[in-house]
Amino acid sequence: MIRLKYRDMKATEFSRSDVDKEKFYSLLGRELEKLKGLNLHRKIDFGLEKDGKLSGLPFTLKDSICSEGDPTYAGSKILEGYRPPFDATVVEKIKKAGGNIVAKTHQDEFAFGTGCTNCAFTTPKNPWDEERCCGGSSGGAAGMAAALDLPHINLGESTGGSISVPASFCGVVGLTPTYGVVSRYGLISFANSLDKIGPIARNVEDAALGLEVISGKDEMDQTTVESEGDYREALEEDISGMTIGLPRDYFEIADDEVSETVEKAVSELEQLGADVKKVKLEMTEAALPTYYIIAPAEASTNLAKFCGMRYGMEGELEGNFREYFSKIRGQGFGEEVKRRVMIGTYTRMAGYRDKYYIKALKVRRKIINDFKHVFKDVDILAAPTSPVIAPKIKELEEMPPVEQYKIDKLTAPINLAGMPQLSVPCGLNKKMPVGLHLMGNHFDEKKILKVGHAYEKQRGKINYPEVEDDG
Amino acid sequence: MDKTKIGLETHLQLLTKSKLFCGCPTTGSEGPNTRICPTCLGMPGTKPRVNKKAIEMGIKIARALNCELPEEMNFSRKTYFYPDMPKNFQTTQFSVPLGRNGEVTMELDGKEKTVRIRRVHLEEDPGKLKHVGGNITSADYVLVDYNRSGTPLCEVVTEPDLESPEEARTFLRKLADIFEYLDVYDSTGEGTIRSDANVSTGGERTEVKNITGFKDTEKALRYELRRQKNLKKRGKEVERETRSYDDSSGTTKSLRTKEHEADYGYIFDPDLTRIELKKRWIEELSQEIPELPHEKKGRYVEEYDVSKEVAATLCSDFELTMTFEKLIDNLSVETTSNILAGPVKKVLNYNEMRFRESELNIDKLRNLIEMVESGEITERNAEMILREIVVDDKNPKEVKEEKGFGKVEGNEIDKIVGEVIEENESAVEDYRKGKEEALNYLMGQVMSKSQGRADPSEARKILKKKVGI
Repeated sequence: MIRLKYRDMKATEFSRSDVDKEKFYSLLGRELEKLKGLNLHRKIDFGLEKDGKLSGLPFTLKDSICSEGDPTYAGSKILEGYRPPFDATVVEKIKKAGGNIVAKTHQDEFAFGTGCTNCAFTTPKNPWDEERCCGGSSGGAAGMAAALDLPHINLGESTGGSISVPASFCGVVGLTPTYGVVSRYGLISFANSLDKIGPIARNVEDAALGLEVISGKDEMDQTTVESEGDYREALEEDISGMTIGLPRDYFEIADDEVSETVEKAVSELEQLGADVKKVKLEMTEAALPTYYIIAPAEASTNLAKFCGMRYGMEGELEGNFREYFSKIRGQGFGEEVKRRVMIGTYTRMAGYRDKYYIKALKVRRKIINDFKHVFKDVDILAAPTSPVIAPKIKELEEMPPVEQYKIDKLTAPINLAGMPQLSVPCGLNKKMPVGLHLMGNHFDEKKILKVGHAYEKQRGKINYPEVEDDG
Repeated sequence: MDKTKIGLETHLQLLTKSKLFCGCPTTGSEGPNTRICPTCLGMPGTKPRVNKKAIEMGIKIARALNCELPEEMNFSRKTYFYPDMPKNFQTTQFSVPLGRNGEVTMELDGKEKTVRIRRVHLEEDPGKLKHVGGNITSADYVLVDYNRSGTPLCEVVTEPDLESPEEARTFLRKLADIFEYLDVYDSTGEGTIRSDANVSTGGERTEVKNITGFKDTEKALRYELRRQKNLKKRGKEVERETRSYDDSSGTTKSLRTKEHEADYGYIFDPDLTRIELKKRWIEELSQEIPELPHEKKGRYVEEYDVSKEVAATLCSDFELTMTFEKLIDNLSVETTSNILAGPVKKVLNYNEMRFRESELNIDKLRNLIEMVESGEITERNAEMILREIVVDDKNPKEVKEEKGFGKVEGNEIDKIVGEVIEENESAVEDYRKGKEEALNYLMGQVMSKSQGRADPSEARKILKKKVGI
């Protein structure tokens, strides 16, 4: 049976298998249909024939990544109906390599959130427990990796932890590359100095393949650098002799059970020959406030363009343009978006600019140096990805914003530093997955991938929950 | 006496082939929204990429205006909502401009005056609004054309060193000259120089926005100064406010008062990486800065022994002065400078044209000057030919034939003089009685009869001889 053939197959194995595309894609269509009840994705039309080395490997895109002619709403009502006239660079690269874009995954509106409860269209449900959230903001992508048992890769995007956190909550692998390794051209911006596109998959090897496909210098994004090429080449290397730093305060901040699960994973790395060393990061407490100044400041300028004039939501023309823009923005933006636009506008106003925005930029520099300093002594850092396991959707919806923001407390610092991170599932707590967060210095993707891969082999297979067909 | 103080913020469009942050052409198709792409339309997901050529032009400008340059530059976002701005923010420079603390020296009524330059920076132009069926307040509806969106602008901000509307106009012309010399700007395009002016007559200052061109700057400032002085006469205070210039009525209108001053919430544009202004790069670009107008003017006086006025006239139009330099390779400096600074400039001014807008070129002028030098035509004929060839693409030789210009031979002058004497007996009598003006009258008759072709000094000689003195 065809279903059995692709069970547990890695994306990296897909192109080597003799794929009957017609049969495979019709299976994929059925499987996606089966997932409908989890609210993870929006269907798009996709073709069968794909040329290139990936032989039509399916990819899903976070809703904020533009693909020509496909609905791309970034989780917002203000963009409902929008179909971009161009492909994001990552999409261009996927298509060129023979990948097939098969779905758009749901996210928090403009990526503002930690549990996808701020998506304007739906709330993705965690395949491990449908009462719980998938994490945010790339929740649909992580949920898809956990729920769809067919070879595929999902592209997410992280600004302050939006790949690692949902990967951790859904028990899948999330790779956030160094800022600049992947082109952001065609990504609907949240905070341009922080946004990073990265792959979410079931295993480290697939995540590495994803990065291979999408990375590289792009003349359309000035912040990009040359790709390191084959991110899989070092996966099998021995990790003995590597020094892994454990930031003490990260383990203290996380819930006890979460920390214990991660500590167990770290001891397995020790068994594999890695040296483990406790380290002290000085700037952890400053990261979240810094993040919540810089990110909204940038976001509030990015969101200025959405005003019902050139694309997306439109309304009855009444009054002057200011009244019209206000009306559309008032109707089109959700509550969290309005909150962040207000925070961001405030922190960059004349009179407050130096006190908040400029100061935050200086603190950010200190955070980068804090990590740089630690990476002189250790190869990589290991910590819990999130302080908690996936909260219940209802709880999250009732949580005050600042409490929600704290879910990013352990991912915000490394995201501000623009350094690579890999969240690897490392066990269960209350029957929900916990993430081991491996963090590296700038451009040290291969180091964290290698450690992640070694750990994964040691850990063994994960039994993902079966998704019931509710149709 | 309270002193008038004027400071200008002037925007000049740079002559790059493509826009500041995308590859769209800056000129070409005029159909609305035909020179646009997702980036200059600010579509979601697009990112800007900087046009290096525009940065290089900016560096040259900053150097030519004697500015200090920073070690690295960046761009900022200036946020305000307006339908002609696709992103609702303008990408510009804020805390670290490309140039600072420069100066421009210009000549005013024979005296030198230095205007301090506060800053020079680069930014993108927004699109254009078209009010259909009326003006900004009465239009039925508004259309937006984004062709201009993203065109590079250079903003030059002066200290409040200008003391009159005339000075402001002279300064703008001087600034435009420098830009044209650098080959980064064409002052003949529509709307290519736009200014906001800060004006004070001793009390609070007002800002007058949206002034296009040289003449309107003078007009707008005149109006605003008069308005401020009238307020004072009536014992009222000038309020700190932003006013808008309306070119159709030549007046300024209040836009907003100080309390409603816009807050642009500047942040660094994180999509555009910092650009290091390496010493070597700046030096290489500085090498490309040509001789600037005031330098050229000094050299002409020194080297070619022309008068200051002639030198200044030649240097006031870049193409004209470059043509001059090429022509004197094989023509005399004296005749060439006299023709170019004289009749050529006069006819250009009459037609309100810069040299580059006219149909003149180096070959036509060479022909013309050669004819003057060889005595084939008079300078007066040259001017009449110029009137024809400035606006139409005609050959000076053909025009000369057509008009029948050409110097009259001695015996023909003889004949004409004879006729004039016969026809004007009373004037001849007057002259013989000692009335000098009578001779001028008779000369006029001779010149008109010869259609200006007679050489005046020769004709005068013959006339005097014939009248018998």
